[in-house]
Amino acid sequence: MATYVIRRIIWTIPVILLVILLIFSLMKQIGGNPFRQTERAVPPAIQANLEEKFNLGKPWYAQYAYYVRDVATFNLGPSLVLRNRTVNEIVKAHFPHSLKLAILAIGWGLVIGLPAGIASALRPNSVFDYAAMLFSNIGFALPNFLVATVLIYYVALQWDLVPTNGWPSAFWDFNDKRLILPSFALGLFFMAFVARLVRGTMLETMQQDYVRTAKAKGLRWRRVVLRHVLRNSLIPVVTAVGPLIGLVITGTFVIETIFSIPGIGRYFVDAVAARDYSVVMGITVLAAIVVIVANLIVDILYGFLDPRTREART
Amino acid sequence: MRRNPWLLLVAALLVVLALGVAGCGGDDEAADEPGQTGEAEEPAAEQVITIAWGAEPPSLDPGLATDTTSSNVIGNIMDPLVVLDENLEPQPQLAESWEVSEDGTTVTYTLRQDGQWTNGDPVTAADFEYSWKRTLSPELAADYAYQLYGIQGAQEYNACESNCDRLADQVGVTAVDDHTLEVQLTSPQPWFIAQSAHHSFIAVHQATVEEFGEQWTEPENIVTNGPFMLEAWEHEASIDLVKWDEWRNADEVTLERVNGLIIVDGTTKLQAFEAGEVDAFDGGGLPPAEIPRLKETEEYEQYEYLGTYYYGFNVENVDLEQRRAMSLAIDRQTVIDNVAQADQAPGAGMTPPGIPGYDVINPESPWTPASGDLEQAQSLMDQAQSPKTNINLFHNNAPGHREIAVAVQDMWSEIGINTTIRAQEWAQYLEFLGPPPSNQVDVYRLGWIYDYPDAINGLELWTCDSGNNNTNFCNEEFDGLVEEARQTPDDAARFELYAQAEDVMFGEDGEMPITPIYHYTLINMEDTCIKDTFYIGALNSMDLTDVVVEGECS
Amino acid sequence: MAVQEPQTALDAGARMLPEAGVAAGAPVRQSSLWKDAWRRYIRNRGAVAAAIVFIVTVLYCFLIPGIWIVPGIWTDVIHDIDPYNVDFSQAYQGASLAHPFGTDAFGRDLFARAALGGQVSIQIGFAATFVILVVAILYGGISGFAGGSLDNVLMRFLDALYGLPFLPFAIITLAIVGTVNILTMVIALSIVSWFTDARVVRGQVITLKENDYVRAARAVGARWYRILGRHLLPNTLGILIISMFLSLPGVVLGEAFISFIGLGINPPDASWGAMANDGRDAYRSHPLTIVVPSLFIAALVLCANFIADGLRDALDPRTRET
Repeated sequence: MATYVIRRIIWTIPVILLVILLIFSLMKQIGGNPFRQTERAVPPAIQANLEEKFNLGKPWYAQYAYYVRDVATFNLGPSLVLRNRTVNEIVKAHFPHSLKLAILAIGWGLVIGLPAGIASALRPNSVFDYAAMLFSNIGFALPNFLVATVLIYYVALQWDLVPTNGWPSAFWDFNDKRLILPSFALGLFFMAFVARLVRGTMLETMQQDYVRTAKAKGLRWRRVVLRHVLRNSLIPVVTAVGPLIGLVITGTFVIETIFSIPGIGRYFVDAVAARDYSVVMGITVLAAIVVIVANLIVDILYGFLDPRTREART
Repeated sequence: MRRNPWLLLVAALLVVLALGVAGCGGDDEAADEPGQTGEAEEPAAEQVITIAWGAEPPSLDPGLATDTTSSNVIGNIMDPLVVLDENLEPQPQLAESWEVSEDGTTVTYTLRQDGQWTNGDPVTAADFEYSWKRTLSPELAADYAYQLYGIQGAQEYNACESNCDRLADQVGVTAVDDHTLEVQLTSPQPWFIAQSAHHSFIAVHQATVEEFGEQWTEPENIVTNGPFMLEAWEHEASIDLVKWDEWRNADEVTLERVNGLIIVDGTTKLQAFEAGEVDAFDGGGLPPAEIPRLKETEEYEQYEYLGTYYYGFNVENVDLEQRRAMSLAIDRQTVIDNVAQADQAPGAGMTPPGIPGYDVINPESPWTPASGDLEQAQSLMDQAQSPKTNINLFHNNAPGHREIAVAVQDMWSEIGINTTIRAQEWAQYLEFLGPPPSNQVDVYRLGWIYDYPDAINGLELWTCDSGNNNTNFCNEEFDGLVEEARQTPDDAARFELYAQAEDVMFGEDGEMPITPIYHYTLINMEDTCIKDTFYIGALNSMDLTDVVVEGECS
Repeated sequence: MAVQEPQTALDAGARMLPEAGVAAGAPVRQSSLWKDAWRRYIRNRGAVAAAIVFIVTVLYCFLIPGIWIVPGIWTDVIHDIDPYNVDFSQAYQGASLAHPFGTDAFGRDLFARAALGGQVSIQIGFAATFVILVVAILYGGISGFAGGSLDNVLMRFLDALYGLPFLPFAIITLAIVGTVNILTMVIALSIVSWFTDARVVRGQVITLKENDYVRAARAVGARWYRILGRHLLPNTLGILIISMFLSLPGVVLGEAFISFIGLGINPPDASWGAMANDGRDAYRSHPLTIVVPSLFIAALVLCANFIADGLRDALDPRTRET
């Protein structure tokens, strides 16, 4: 097991290097001038000054080498457009907001979706099951900008219960009405996702021979559910939540825009539009690392949970 | 295998619980953020407003700022030499007076004695000399350094590769004494005084800039010299200003505090306004579809805005008859009434109404009637030497442009032109347009917002070697007129030259390198409690110094 | 969006195998497998309803915008039903008999616009899922079929690609190609979405490869392409169809997301996502403009889910009991 974990961890290093190279070469293909943000032409002398300042004149391999070196030392460079800020500052200031939004959204999924899914599975085809599945199908299908817009219109504008937009500035501030709507609008998808997943896997587990055997042996149903069904049904849920973190960075963009939340998703989209290479690179590399690490953790967890996958994946 | 799923479940539940507990436990410690929500309930006497800034300012450094929000913040925390009044005439601000030499090439500003920085230092002419040279320095690499190119030696210094220090000394800006700033211009520029109201001409505090480097604009470091101080800047979230009681003219400023939320999205901004969370915007950004409804409200405000929204032709792809025909086919009034919605003036020529000398320049053109002329357009189209019936119309991806393009696409289809609309992102778009433009471009959309109130600022875009001329249009007579105007300090004579230049572009025999769609207006939402005193100038400069909160803000 | 229940899809595939294995060999038996599946599908009322709604929606999308061209039909409302006809005097009409969904800012009929938007969304959705599957089959198939070191290299490379975040790459891809049309949108949406499916296909192929009938075919000297074409692909067809309907919602919602950023396809065409985004800027005054396209997106996603569920039950009788 230890060798498996170590091997997986070491393997992430070339993977990250490759991802950086991919992103880097893609960014080289993007046309557009980050130094011209208004319709006013930039005189050649000013353009030259800017390229000089941001090392854009060097050959690509030199730029790549510098970049890898900088990433290795956790330095993502200066922003080309937000002239008084570095990518490190941007990530440090805004990534936590997106992370918090995503954690809260996943939290909604676990708090509501999980019990709803379990209850549905225990009484399939009941009224509750139909209601829960109808709700989760709708939650799954509605685009989140519509959900957000409807929520704002009724909850904030008509009923005046919460502000229409905004986000607390401190990460640990969880006592703020402004957290509710955005996290719910984003979380609706996760709720539906988790509820459906749990219901499906539980129903499936209940068909399994060992559950039937346990039942036939005369074990109390509650005990069977707790000991056998739930335990085995939650594995896919836990492993599905890991990769969801990867959605944090851009999956939150729409919600961040609609609720004016200072998260990293907005920076990313703005930076692509403005051709702010260093910010795009920095955020994408960060997202890639998050995804890779999340996958790594999931794989290792899988390895613990189910020895068969260990063999299959190595 | 046996224990682990439980462990995971417990861990997951713990996380959920922790979130819940943190939610409940936060009650005592979390103090209400001031100004985020509570302002609406404040008593009327409280001189506090909440505004929505339209964007995260890319930089609050006057030397580096290029956008409206940055400029609006800077304009209220810094003290410019001059400000423009409602007639776009320069009025004394930090400079109590100025003098222009006989030949028009030397400008001498006399600074007020009582200007000071928030740390107590006096504001001196040396601050301006330092600041302007800093903006021009190649190391700072300021995008807007060219705003100062009218000063002698400025362009040479900005472009220097060697001998930079010597070139810096030769830049024509000198602090003669603490309160006298002498500027040598490359030519007589009668608009220079008005131009120095632009934020690029604002002074920065040398010691602070040198101490904190790129971090100097953060609220904990910044030293300012204007009516308000930068109290807090939460990136992408809020910018709060407070009145600076020591300001030389603080007695005349009533407003105590400005809470600013940064809200980029137009619909989000509007929702916040209608929920009473903000009292005003810093100009524009409203979704056009909502404007007809908002116009009926008391909070709706409309300002003059010096700028022209135009469609440029690639003159190598579209011949003269067809350019005239396409220009004639556009029903500008319909575009304004149904798409742009904000009572803009139909574009006649390049120069917008409201600019000094507009009556003389008066760009009346037979090719740009407000409601279009389909019949004549059709007959011109039939005369076209090499009519191009498949046209590529390019616009940048930003709210509003696509809608106008769809309307124009429909109008051009009436004269048998099949238009393909293609959108690109801003940075890529501008590169695509050149100059010279990519040959895929037949027509493109751009706008020009004036830097200073003189028609030259818009006309000089269309000279052969202009970096903003994306049309391939090049006319020696036009270039000659612009050059002559640059050497003509006398207003009446200069305006006459502008009129002739307009004629070369849009007159009876005009070349029509572009066709103007409309001249901008700026619409804003302002709560009735401040509406009378809230003001945005025609160059989109928001001035908060006169704001008085009267009655209840909703 | 990249989380379209990969486990379940995997399971569905794995569970299908024994059934497929039994059915392999004689074509008669195979057709009865499909017949069985059809019978089971028909019994699932939700799935049948979803299929009907889906077919009606597709017909609506692809027929309505064309009807105005056909002479004689609806001659009175010929202009109203043209999705491209700009008439500012008709801007932002409410729902009425002439305009069941009202009109947009340009006075264009939303009943026709929604159909047009549906064409774009459905085309992009199916084209992208198709591309995803083709790439996944090629990559996963080669990897699984070849095995050995080639398999190893391809899978390690896939591990690296797995690190690519979905939407950033779609956005960057669109930024690189510059202009957005259906083709570039399909490329952008599919370019980083095929990894999971490739793994699934590889797993399938490896399992199938070891099946008795494949071994038997190999033993009697069948060529590899014959094995691939005759035995392996037909037996993966079911899971591929399921997979297509499973991926569709993610692609459609992804396209809506990209349109929200303003990177939608060029006007005057528009997808449902782009229409909904336009509608959001007008919703306070004209709520229909956001509600109509959003509900269409939701309906498409819902139908695709139900159809996928129905197909899975039909092709895998073991879950049918619930």
